[in-house]
Amino acid sequence: MTLTGWEAVFFWVFAVTALMAALLTVLARNAVHSAMFLISTLVSVAALFILLGAEFVAGAQILVYVGGVMVLFLFVIMLVNVGAEERGKEAIFNRTPQVVASLLFSGLLVIGLVIGINQGWRAIQERDERDNRLVEVQVRRAQEEQALPVAATNTMKITRDTERIGNSLYRYASLPFEIASILLLVAIIGSVMLARTIKQEAVTDDLDPEVLKEAAPLITERADLTEG
Amino acid sequence: MTELAINFPFALQGAPAPQVQGIDLSWYLALSAVLFTIGVVGVIIKRNVISMFMCIELMLNAVNLTFVAFASYFRDVTGQLFVFIVMTVAAAEAAVGLGIIIAIFRNRESLDVDDANILKL
Repeated sequence: MTLTGWEAVFFWVFAVTALMAALLTVLARNAVHSAMFLISTLVSVAALFILLGAEFVAGAQILVYVGGVMVLFLFVIMLVNVGAEERGKEAIFNRTPQVVASLLFSGLLVIGLVIGINQGWRAIQERDERDNRLVEVQVRRAQEEQALPVAATNTMKITRDTERIGNSLYRYASLPFEIASILLLVAIIGSVMLARTIKQEAVTDDLDPEVLKEAAPLITERADLTEG
Repeated sequence: MTELAINFPFALQGAPAPQVQGIDLSWYLALSAVLFTIGVVGVIIKRNVISMFMCIELMLNAVNLTFVAFASYFRDVTGQLFVFIVMTVAAAEAAVGLGIIIAIFRNRESLDVDDANILKL
């Protein structure tokens, strides 16, 4: 297994960045710092996606994760964060069961790295050697790279990755695609429902009469809101 | 350009692997395994619900890296399609989960998971 040239350099740069930022995500006591380190992990992984030839996934990662999910996280952190987390005094690594469990998982990781990936990957390699699949893949890759259209400046070639993904997404995976859109719709409605205050629920007449009676002191402005 | 050869340290025995330019699966697998484990450790260690959520996002992202690495190795876009589904699920999960966190915080004034031990709000 050999990485060559600049690809190796960039792999190492981004891999080490991702690992360090991921470690700091766990170790940071301040939740906002944690979110910032997680953002740098996500950006590094997006760079690795580009190295793997998945440009569209990398773009989606930046847009969806960094631009959407992490901004949402930061909003929520700044909305609700009070107390120890905000002052950066959250206690971590101070409970024996948690530390033991995490050490167990780290041990599993070492076993998985030394035995699992080693043997599994070698098995894949042997199978591919036997079936001549590696050569096939290499030939196909070379052909694809030959067939790439040249950019207008003649200095680089334009990849077909996005086009291929779009084709397969709508041709072979259209049902999962539609299911994903339904899932997102349900998630939007669900999160709006969940995040309502009891006052807002009362305004839309979405409360049990008993709950409404109990919460009556909390919602004195109900009449004003419904009139207005 | 200089040749920069890196040998996978865990290839303990057997013949040297055939060198396939640009295809390197095991390094990416190892990296994503480490990232996933860091995420698991974070979920176990952290007590702030939002931090635990962020560690879950880290785990999902490690799995995405595995998918894309295999897709690149086999020159097959199916892995990348899976990544989109995973991203959708992660986004939906983050939206609903953060809604739940806000609802819990409104009732308990705390984000500690140990305080949130009753299902009733």
